[in-house]
Amino acid sequence: MNNLTILVVDDDPVIKRLLGQRLVKEDYTVLLAEDGYKAEKILKENHVDVVLTDLMMPGEISGIEVIDIAKDLDRNIEVILITAHSSVDTAVEAMKKGAADYLEKPINFTELFLRLEKIDTMRSVLRSAEDLRQAMDVTETNAAETIQNLEIAAGDLQQKLDAIESILIDDETDSHSRVTEALNILLN
Amino acid sequence: MLKITAEELKVIAQYIHEICGISLDQSKSYLFETRLGSIAEELGCKSYRELYDKARRDPAKKIERQIIDAISTNETLFFRDTSPFDLLKHKIIPEIIDARTPNTPQLKTNVKIWSSASSTGQELYSIAMTLHELLGTQIKNFNFKLLGTDISDTAVKQASYGKYNKFEIERGLPRQTLQKHFTLFGDTWKVKDELRGMVNFRKFNLMLPFTGLGKFDIIFCRNVAIYFTLQDRKKLFNKIADSLADDGYLIIGSTESLTGICSRFVPKRHLRAIFYQKK
Ligand SMILES: C[S@@+](CC[C@H](N)C(=O)[O-])C[C@H]1O[C@@H](n2cnc3c(N)ncnc32)[C@H](O)[C@@H]1O
Repeated sequence: MNNLTILVVDDDPVIKRLLGQRLVKEDYTVLLAEDGYKAEKILKENHVDVVLTDLMMPGEISGIEVIDIAKDLDRNIEVILITAHSSVDTAVEAMKKGAADYLEKPINFTELFLRLEKIDTMRSVLRSAEDLRQAMDVTETNAAETIQNLEIAAGDLQQKLDAIESILIDDETDSHSRVTEALNILLN
Repeated sequence: MLKITAEELKVIAQYIHEICGISLDQSKSYLFETRLGSIAEELGCKSYRELYDKARRDPAKKIERQIIDAISTNETLFFRDTSPFDLLKHKIIPEIIDARTPNTPQLKTNVKIWSSASSTGQELYSIAMTLHELLGTQIKNFNFKLLGTDISDTAVKQASYGKYNKFEIERGLPRQTLQKHFTLFGDTWKVKDELRGMVNFRKFNLMLPFTGLGKFDIIFCRNVAIYFTLQDRKKLFNKIADSLADDGYLIIGSTESLTGICSRFVPKRHLRAIFYQKK
């Protein structure tokens, strides 16, 4: 069971179809785009987990720009680049921009599925970390409120005790009125 | 991972308490192993006893510093818990400015603020940003002294650089505040000079006597005493009371309490936050 939605961007219709079919067979949800422009449109309208894009594409938007577009829309989107051997340097450059990984052509599917699995695991780890953090926040907020109330209550009691002490200790006054006054403070 | 023996656990826990006051639960041996194991291995130690002996004999105290860094939790956030900063903005700062404004208009108002376990600096920079937000361009007419101290060299160093990665930035900092006070260099955000120039950071161990620090108008002592024993907490807040101006303000962590720890302070509530003042 794979929960990732993958957007495949490639100007070569054969590669695009082949990639799409293989991914669907592995149970991934797949969206297809033939250029950066279409990719942008799809990214804006759909929830996508991973973008698998060709680095070199004709048209106005290159694979590198697809990274920027995807990351701007949702910084959690992972981008995997597909490159020709000759453009490995560009791919490394792209990783600095936030691409998760790159694959050289011809695509080794075992390798691709491994990377996707890694991304999937990573995402569920991040998700549980986020859940945990939120749970901790709730606990902490609650604890803070309880402690604040107790702190103020303890402070008030202390003030009363201090006042009672100074009344009882004061031997200028007769003991009966001291007790009356002390009781007054206690009962208020 | 190198295993720790019961004997070593005792010796190391005692040593850690001695160097930084942190009191670790000796029943949690994994805590010692996960935090100190890699230091021991890196130094080629075959046991924790050996690590301890090496640390004791190290004249430069480099190992001691590494151990403190590994043991202490530096977890912090910009505007952590938000309410203390609202409190500063709406109550404490206006009141203290009122109280400190000299009768001679030529003299500047002096206000001293201390973040006493400043970690990587987020707390003190949040205070500085709050001052900016409240006072705007008027800020130059005041003389604010903002000091941040921590026992961890690495934390003090990062605070001094004022550099944060995107994870440290993303939590707690509103976009506008970020744009106003930080500049992006590659993938790290750096505090702008204007803010950096307001603060000072240095190393200081809260277990030691507070000599040479002077008196402060506002002290933040948040989320550090929780690592100390009850006895050490009592001593700490007593020293803090000594270093706080008579009409000064103390702010502690949102889940901390001074009940049964220091009777020299009275808790007061404002909006949804608590602060302490001396009796
Ligand atoms: C969890 S952080 C709290 C940071 C910040 N005050 C906050 O509330 O977000 C705790 C810090 O206390 C520091 N610390 C631990 N023991 C200390 C000691 N004895 N003296 C000074 N700082 C200490 C640690 O290095 C760490 O940076």
